[in-house]
Amino acid sequence: MVSPAASPGELLRKAAAGDQFAWNAIVDRFSGLVWATARAHRLSRDDAADVAQTTWLRLVEHLDRIRDPERLGAWLATTARHESLRMIRRGGREQATDEADLFEVPDDDAVDRLLLEQERDGKLWRAFAALSDRCKTLLRILMADEPPSYEEVGAALGMPVGAIGPTRMRCLDRLRRTAGVSELGA
Amino acid sequence: MTNHPTNSEAEDDPLLAELRRLAGAVDPVPDQVTAYARAALGWRRIDAELAELLVDSQLETASTTRSVSASERTLTFRASDLDIDVELSLGAEGIVLLGQLAPAGAAEVEAQRDDGSTVASAAVDELGRFRLALEPGMRIRLVVRREAPAPPVETSWIDV
Repeated sequence: MVSPAASPGELLRKAAAGDQFAWNAIVDRFSGLVWATARAHRLSRDDAADVAQTTWLRLVEHLDRIRDPERLGAWLATTARHESLRMIRRGGREQATDEADLFEVPDDDAVDRLLLEQERDGKLWRAFAALSDRCKTLLRILMADEPPSYEEVGAALGMPVGAIGPTRMRCLDRLRRTAGVSELGA
Repeated sequence: MTNHPTNSEAEDDPLLAELRRLAGAVDPVPDQVTAYARAALGWRRIDAELAELLVDSQLETASTTRSVSASERTLTFRASDLDIDVELSLGAEGIVLLGQLAPAGAAEVEAQRDDGSTVASAAVDELGRFRLALEPGMRIRLVVRREAPAPPVETSWIDV
C-alpha cells in the first residue's frame, strides 16, 4: 500500500482549492492505477492514453464533489473502467484484441529498457503472457505502481473484492509452476 | 516451491514485485499522460458550474448497432439550472454542432479544446439555439456564459 504523508482526502481538498503540489501528488500516486486499468481492458497504448487523460479530466470536473474523498483511488479506478468501456463501445477505436499490444513488448525502446535478453526477465514475461486472460487482467492491475488496494482492484475490474485474493493466488501459482519460473520470486 | 503467500493485500508477493518491475519497464505510463494529467488542474474554472453529460447517443446505440454511423450524435448535458442539448453531424467540411439551451436566454457559447484554446464560439438566438463548426478528432467542452448573476456553465469533456 501507499504510505502517504497526506491522505487522499486532504490532497483532494487542497487540489480543489487550486494547490498544484497537492494535485501533482494525486497524479503521481494514482497514475499507475489509472493506466493499468485502461491497459487491463486491452486497449492499445494510444487508446489507453486517451482514457487516462479523460479520467484525469473527469476528476478535475468533480474535484469538489467526490463523495468519499478517502476512497479516491477506487473512484479513479471506476472512472477509468467506465471510460475504457466507453472507448471500446465507441467502436472505430482499435481495441488490442490480440495479445500483441498488451502483453508483448510495445516498442524498441522498451526492449532496451527491459533488456529482454536477460533470460530471467524474458522467461517471466513470456510465462505471464501465456496465462489465461483472467489472470493477465487481474495481474496487470496488481502490477500497477503504486500497488493498489483490493478495493481499487475491484473497482478497476468490476470484480468482487472477495474474489481477488483467491484468484491472485491461483494466478501466481500457475505462473510459478510454469517451467523456469519456479525459482523466480522465491 | 515457495510458501504460499496469505491473502493479505498488504503482503506483496515477491513474484508480483518482479512483474511490477517488468511492467514498469515494458509498459510504463507515458510521460505525456502524466504531463497532461498535471496540467489538467489548470483547465478548471472555480467559478463555473459543471453540466454533466447525461445522454450520449453514441453510447446508447453502439451496443446494439456495432457499426453505427458517426454521422449523427446527440448529447444532453445538465447543470442545476440549465440543460444543453447538442446534435453533432459530420459533413463534408467537418462537424456541425447544433445546440439548444433550456431555458433559453441571452448567452454566448464557446467550444474549448483541452489545450486551452477556443475553437469556435457563437451567440445563442432568441430560442436558445446555437451552431458551431468543429473539426473531428478533438476533445472539447462547451462553455456557456449567461447574463449576470448566472454563473458560467462548463460541460463535461467530450471527444468529437
